[in-house]
Amino acid sequence: MNIVVLIKQVPGNSDVKLDPKTGNLIREGIDAIINPDDLQALETAITLKETLGAKVTVLTMGPPQAIDALSEAIGMGADGAILLSDRAFAGADTWATSFTLGKAIQRIGKFDLILAGRQAIDGDTAQVGPQVAECLDLPQVTYVFDIETVENGYVRVKRRLEDGYERIQCSLPALLTIIGGPVKPRYPEVASLLSACHAKAPIQVWNAADIGVTTADVGMSGSFTQVVKTFAPKFERHGELLEGSAVEVVHNLIERLKQNKLI
Amino acid sequence: MIRSNPEELIRKNIARFVDNEIIPIAQELDNKGEFPRDIFKKLSKMGIFGIRYPRHRGGSGGNTTLFCIICEEISRGLLSVASIVAMQSLMGTNFLFHYGTGEMFEEFFLPAMRGEKIGCFCMTEPDAGSDLGAITTRATEVDDGYLINGMKTWVTDGPEASFYTVMCQTDPSKRLRGIGYFFIPRNLPGVSLSSRFQCLGTRTTPICEVAFKDVFIPKEYRLTPEGEGLNAFLKIIAEIRAMTAALALGLQRAAMADSIKYANERMASGKPIGKFQLVQSKIANMATNLEASKLMTYRATAMIDEGKEALKEATMAKYFATESACSASDECTRIFAGYGYSMEYTAQRYFRDARFLLNGGGTHEVLQCNIARWVGI
Ligand SMILES: Cc1cc2nc3c(=O)[nH]c(=O)nc-3n(C[C@H](O)[C@H](O)[C@H](O)COP(=O)(O)OP(=O)(O)OC[C@H]3O[C@@H](n4cnc5c(N)ncnc54)[C@H](O)[C@@H]3O)c2cc1C
Repeated sequence: MNIVVLIKQVPGNSDVKLDPKTGNLIREGIDAIINPDDLQALETAITLKETLGAKVTVLTMGPPQAIDALSEAIGMGADGAILLSDRAFAGADTWATSFTLGKAIQRIGKFDLILAGRQAIDGDTAQVGPQVAECLDLPQVTYVFDIETVENGYVRVKRRLEDGYERIQCSLPALLTIIGGPVKPRYPEVASLLSACHAKAPIQVWNAADIGVTTADVGMSGSFTQVVKTFAPKFERHGELLEGSAVEVVHNLIERLKQNKLI
Repeated sequence: MIRSNPEELIRKNIARFVDNEIIPIAQELDNKGEFPRDIFKKLSKMGIFGIRYPRHRGGSGGNTTLFCIICEEISRGLLSVASIVAMQSLMGTNFLFHYGTGEMFEEFFLPAMRGEKIGCFCMTEPDAGSDLGAITTRATEVDDGYLINGMKTWVTDGPEASFYTVMCQTDPSKRLRGIGYFFIPRNLPGVSLSSRFQCLGTRTTPICEVAFKDVFIPKEYRLTPEGEGLNAFLKIIAEIRAMTAALALGLQRAAMADSIKYANERMASGKPIGKFQLVQSKIANMATNLEASKLMTYRATAMIDEGKEALKEATMAKYFATESACSASDECTRIFAGYGYSMEYTAQRYFRDARFLLNGGGTHEVLQCNIARWVGI
């Protein structure tokens, strides 16, 4: 079985600050980490490799520093990794990102399963996984927290719902987006991490030409959406305690709701 | 070709482990004061204990710098866990690795790398601490081996150990030149342990006395060849001091991070206390000392990795980084004020744990004497 895992490097701190003037992320002093859902997808792929046998290839699009995410993935047990890095990819929205990843997966060629994290903690769109499936015209199952079986050309998974779960059988090849399940992502062995830093480590870097795309289709120019402004939300809401007897408080509350045109 | 920097990659990954697996339970572990078996097992799975040893001989293929980076990161989470890691990766297994026979390697070293057996390092005696020339634990040559008699104290991990690397005197007239290291499995007849010490800090690290009464060991359990004991000691002491400096770095970072967070949140007279210049001064000193400690520590480890003589640099690093850790943890308790005195906050733990660093690797009075001598006094 061939598995491709899509991962993204994100700022490793939920307390992200924005430069008030430029609206850009302040990255200084913040370690980049593998996005938590993606780490879970990676763990799922490596568990499948151990239980059923599989070749796991990890794919990320990002700046050269994203190499660390791939080294970590190799350290955890992935067989190969590809960094999509090209100035032309910069400024991509989720569509252009999905298109680029899709093209790279076509170049990889053989795959039975594509695993992605449900969403990235920096953008929270949850769009890239499903869009890659669309680009490649594949069936997809989102919010998967358990892969039960992979046999006879089908995968059977559990998919999280708000109040329970669904069991879904899906034909292969397919794309699954993964969320946290009972198995926590493993920590790589230090020896494997050191091997991943060697020149001979199975990590490749591909640019736009390598995946056969023109610069017009990717990055900023291939994007349908553009971020006009980024800002940190101001928390200006204040709580207010209504006091008095129950009857008074209820009257008071109804009055407030009316005042604010909520009822 | 783009490749990750091994030092940054290892640091990042150990940091993830520390943030997820140690920091959330550090206070609880310290309160319980039990050997952190679960964490020890997890660390062994990551191949941490073999970081200084080559891959073709059971290690993970790193070096002293990487070892110290790991010690620093773990110490940021809980110093006592880092001290256990340091013992298992360095002092507890080093002489076994370099001088043990193939059989000893299979029976003790490899299991130690897997976290199944624990090794200790016994030099200090009830009547010989700083002055190691005065040790009286005796190795007497007999037919086919040695008889060991004596008492060791302050044995880190002693209660958990499977084997001890013991500094013994072979010829009292030679003092330091007569010392050698001997390998003593715990289960040999004549080895006995005291009860566990009650300590001020580093409370998950178990410590006890170990006594040897007519313990017979075969010839191959003499680790350092005759006349090489002192050299072996001088070689490892530089690395022990660099490692202790790294432990101090981790503690400084923890104390500083908590101080900054608290200073930004705690309000007094209508503003965060971090707005007061006297609080800023404490933080600025912590940051500056930390930076200097880092440079000194990793300069020493780089020299060790290059095979250079680094005892002076490592000694200065240990001295400076530890004094900085003591000062940072002290200032941290002042920034926390009343809460620094509460057992529910971290400040008190940093304050107590820092005191361990003053002794491990040599007291600062002795270190200062060394440094003064090296610069011409
Ligand atoms: C938590 C902990 C763990 C330890 N783990 C181990 C271990 O695993 N293995 C091990 O072998 N040891 C261990 N030790 C022992 C440690 O190495 C000794 O405490 C240290 O070497 C000092 O010896 P001492 O305590 O006997 O002090 P002493 O040597 O008695 O010193 C007492 C005082 O006199 C000063 N002094 C002594 N000699 C001089 C001198 N020449 N010049 C100036 N001042 C001097 C000292 O600086 C100190 O202030 C551990 C200690 C602690 C606290």
